[in-house]
Amino acid sequence: MYKTFLTVIASLLASFGAVAAPNPEMIVVCYPGGAVNVKDANGAMTSMLRVVEHVGQWQENSFNSLFTTKTDECKKLIAEHNPRFAITSLGLFLELRNQHNLLPVVQPKIKGRTSERYRVMVQKDKYKSLDELKDKTLGGTVLEEPSFIGKIVFAGKYDPASFFALKSSNQAIRSLRALDKGELDAVMLNEQQFGALDSLHLQTALEAIFTSEEIPLMGVVANSAKTTAEERARFGKALEGMCADVEGKKLCDLFGVESFVNVDEAAFEPVLKLWTEEN
Amino acid sequence: MKARVLSAVSIILFLTSCAGLQGERVQFDGLSDCPKQTAVEIVAKRHQLGRLSDSHALECTLAVLRDTEDSAMLRSALGARLSLLLAEREVNPEKREKLAAEGVRFAEAALAHGGDEDAEVHYYLAANLGLAVREHITLAVENLDRLQSEMERALALDPAIDNGGPLRLLGALYLQAPPWPQGIGDLDKALELLEKAVADYPGHPINHLFYAQALWHDGNDASINQARAEFAMGKKLLAEGNWGYSKAAWEKEFAAFAQELIELD
Repeated sequence: MYKTFLTVIASLLASFGAVAAPNPEMIVVCYPGGAVNVKDANGAMTSMLRVVEHVGQWQENSFNSLFTTKTDECKKLIAEHNPRFAITSLGLFLELRNQHNLLPVVQPKIKGRTSERYRVMVQKDKYKSLDELKDKTLGGTVLEEPSFIGKIVFAGKYDPASFFALKSSNQAIRSLRALDKGELDAVMLNEQQFGALDSLHLQTALEAIFTSEEIPLMGVVANSAKTTAEERARFGKALEGMCADVEGKKLCDLFGVESFVNVDEAAFEPVLKLWTEEN
Repeated sequence: MKARVLSAVSIILFLTSCAGLQGERVQFDGLSDCPKQTAVEIVAKRHQLGRLSDSHALECTLAVLRDTEDSAMLRSALGARLSLLLAEREVNPEKREKLAAEGVRFAEAALAHGGDEDAEVHYYLAANLGLAVREHITLAVENLDRLQSEMERALALDPAIDNGGPLRLLGALYLQAPPWPQGIGDLDKALELLEKAVADYPGHPINHLFYAQALWHDGNDASINQARAEFAMGKKLLAEGNWGYSKAAWEKEFAAFAQELIELD
């Protein structure tokens, strides 16, 4: 669901032309598999950062953003810029956290929850179990990080790259239309996509053949070697105040985020365990 | 009298329906130099006012339209169209938004005066509204449904306006709006509409540019190659055609997309 707010902010029409401060703090934003225009996404991020600066009482244009939808480029940007703060997917956080001393700072709360479940959808009554999908096509926007899907979503029980014929797409609606027509055997959805299925009015009834455990939503991470606890707290506090700010609330509404909340570290323990068990 | 009161009420409702748009008008310089024009004369020459007209001529006419009580003028899309022409060529963002917002108000007034069956009213309402909100995230999203419905209405009434303008705008909206499940964005619909815009109205450079952008978003090798071809065709049409005062703004659009194509290489 982390992708909920990223997808929205990243795909809006706006392009903001704010002039950056001489040495703005760079925030790297990684959205693997997003169907977004990088220029527009950076513009949308800019508006969010102006609110964060206002709420956190930083000088305007203290922050700037670098946005990418490609995992390799994300790793490169983080290596090059070594940012103090970043917004990443959970998969990228898990992959990069040791190398860059990453700590989650805040999580979005959406519909009262700070976690989500992933589901594998198939045409109703076509398959009885996930095992029957061996070598079948699996589509979706969440497949850009197969290690994350295998280790966390499938809890290490399936290696998506070898078990399925993966058909990753940056258009969730296109994957679902293909499933509807029988051109795909299955589609993996995140919580928000699953919750909005009824709005598509597909011809064929679908059902979830697999539902993951609760997986924490990702928000902002910090490099613990480059930030102090006070700095992390200040940045987190600013984001927590964002949805209460007049302008910030509009953005939160757009992102579908009720609020940003302090990270519940215990919620990350199961995924950290799953990730390290496999490494 | 009762009808006039109802009409006034409905105008107010329309005028407040796009809350957040710039309410202030742009003040034009040099209006004392304008020729005296009557509503009848403006009606007679309305098709001559377009991309090739200089800004002063458009401003003179718009100034008359601002004060007109002529019902035919109020019902027409002319005020909205002239506002859009001026807004498109305006380099100052604040003035551009004010002009586009005024275009929205002209179109809304036209609807309130019985212009609902006029495709141009819906088309220029949507075009102005899009231009007025494009730099403001929350405003843009708040108006997505309105943009969609106005464009769909224009398309249903007359797809040929402005060389496939309704196809072009609706296709661009589906391309740029937040995708499902957050919004109405839909690349498949965008590709379908913009392919039709190019097929049915191949002479307009922006039809090719927007189709190229949709193909580029599609992302596979064949689409990227086709995007380059459409981009080249649009650029050629822009260079060779007489697009008047729209040319400079469109060249910027082409240049921005050219940069994205270069970054892809």
